[in-house]
Amino acid sequence: MEMISDVYRGFRSLLKGMGVTIRHFFRKPVTVEYPRERAVVSKVQRNAIVLIEKDDIGSHNCIACLQCEKICPSNCISITGSRKDGLAFKRPDTFDLNFALCSECGLCLDVCPTDTLGYSKQYDKAGYSREDFFYDLLDQWKATEETALGTLREIERKKKEEREARRKADAEAKAKAKENDDGDEKA
Amino acid sequence: MPELIRVGRDEDRDTYHLNMGPQHPSTHGVLRLRLHLKGEVILSADPIVGYSHRAHEKMAENRNYIQFLPNTSRMDYLSGMIYNVGYCQAIEKIIGLEVPERAEYIRVICCELNRISSHLLWYGTLLMDLGGFTPFLYCFEDRERILDILDLVSGSRLTYCYGRFGGVTEDVDDKFLSETLAFCKHLRNRLPEYDDLVTNNVIFQNRCKGIGHIDKKTCHEFAVTGPCQRAAGEKRDVRRDEPYGIYDRFDFKVPTRTGGDCFDRFMVRVEEISESLSIVEQAISKLPVGPVMAPKVPRKIAPAKGEYYFAVESARGHFGMYIVSNGTEIPERMHFRTPSFSNLATMRRVLKGSTISDTVAILGSIDIVLPEIDR
Ligand code: SF4
Ligand code: SF4
Repeated sequence: MEMISDVYRGFRSLLKGMGVTIRHFFRKPVTVEYPRERAVVSKVQRNAIVLIEKDDIGSHNCIACLQCEKICPSNCISITGSRKDGLAFKRPDTFDLNFALCSECGLCLDVCPTDTLGYSKQYDKAGYSREDFFYDLLDQWKATEETALGTLREIERKKKEEREARRKADAEAKAKAKENDDGDEKA
Repeated sequence: MPELIRVGRDEDRDTYHLNMGPQHPSTHGVLRLRLHLKGEVILSADPIVGYSHRAHEKMAENRNYIQFLPNTSRMDYLSGMIYNVGYCQAIEKIIGLEVPERAEYIRVICCELNRISSHLLWYGTLLMDLGGFTPFLYCFEDRERILDILDLVSGSRLTYCYGRFGGVTEDVDDKFLSETLAFCKHLRNRLPEYDDLVTNNVIFQNRCKGIGHIDKKTCHEFAVTGPCQRAAGEKRDVRRDEPYGIYDRFDFKVPTRTGGDCFDRFMVRVEEISESLSIVEQAISKLPVGPVMAPKVPRKIAPAKGEYYFAVESARGHFGMYIVSNGTEIPERMHFRTPSFSNLATMRRVLKGSTISDTVAILGSIDIVLPEIDR
């Protein structure tokens, strides 16, 4: 008798389970047919780092301060930079990323003083050798580097002028104040 | 110390040694079980670990506290968010850094989602070990949604580096909140379906009930924590006993069972999924506005000389961080107390007398993650 009830219970639970799977037959597929369809990636998706454009410069604004190189736990960034004529800050000459080592931790983005690091949007890079993942981050900015330098010099010149003007104004204001003081004393 | 290499049949031709793993699909990673068998019955079992040792603790001694952040989530890659955030909370407590309210709530939401995703993966793989492939696919479908949701804020799907000392990297947006709420609703509807498919299934119950007993005494002797301990009837949960972060503000049950067998561990985790769902919903309903990063985070993190211990509840149990500082930016020593290590250690006692086919179920039910054991 017990056996019959066991068999009955077993069958019922099996049929119930099958009911679930049969219902699933008629549900929409949840997968994305990758090469034909592309997944929508999140806005903050982490990926290889890139130098992002700053609107006022028309190029990246890396000042080769090496902060990102220093903080990177995986040692995957190497930068060399030099002082260019007419600029207050350095400018990178090389900016290499070994993406194979990168852990996408985002620490380099956090420390960048000019906020010029961002994540690339390309999420499906693949390669056959290690060298395929050595990225030159300056590559995309090579063509516009001269103009960017021009803009930067222009900005720097304007800043200088402003500074001069402010100093002049300060000096004048001081002189005036002094005159007034003198006048006050006389009166 | 047992001999390590002896495999095959013994001289008396009655008993023999068998290596299960290290590349065995049901050992969830690279675990090697050295079994001494008589027929199908296990006379003794030695879990041998260390195949995915990456020296995370040693690495910690060669980098500063901030640079260790990406390592945390790679220890236990299935509950990386909990480890990552737990490490941040430890350092914040040590250096006395206040975390904005909003960041605290976001952390809770993300950690609990991560716990659910970890439990779902365990659910699927346990069932696959037992020979059921369909539930595995359903669990992965749901887990995938969590990964997508966490991707929205943290930018990663598995090895998160979302926490920072003093907050989190990104603020959550409406899309994240609405998707999370939608997911909670979806999973709540889904759980009865899982019950129909798995929990009430007679074959499953017969395979899980009455095997792999881990009783209270074993729990004490081996320092077993997490769902395995709760299944043995101990009501222990770091979130409840020593609330860290803002866990004291939430209303949640700590599910327990008394038997301590595979089925009890299974039921505890299933109940934990719904408890975590309720925590997520509570956190979203209370989410305050404000910044997600403390205004003043010191650039140099150099805790005062001394020894510190901080623990959080990971998906597998009590995860403790023991940090020794010598007053500089580089830690003197960091040691991690990971739950799976102790839970796996019981196997020597628990597996004795069971059969090979039960071994698969027992190993699956204690939910070990090998990279977390080896670190
Ligand atoms: S994301 Fe992390 S690992 Fe990658 S380059 Fe930046 S600091 Fe280095
Ligand atoms: S931290 Fe920013 S500015 Fe400094 S070197 Fe790196 S990218 Fe350039």
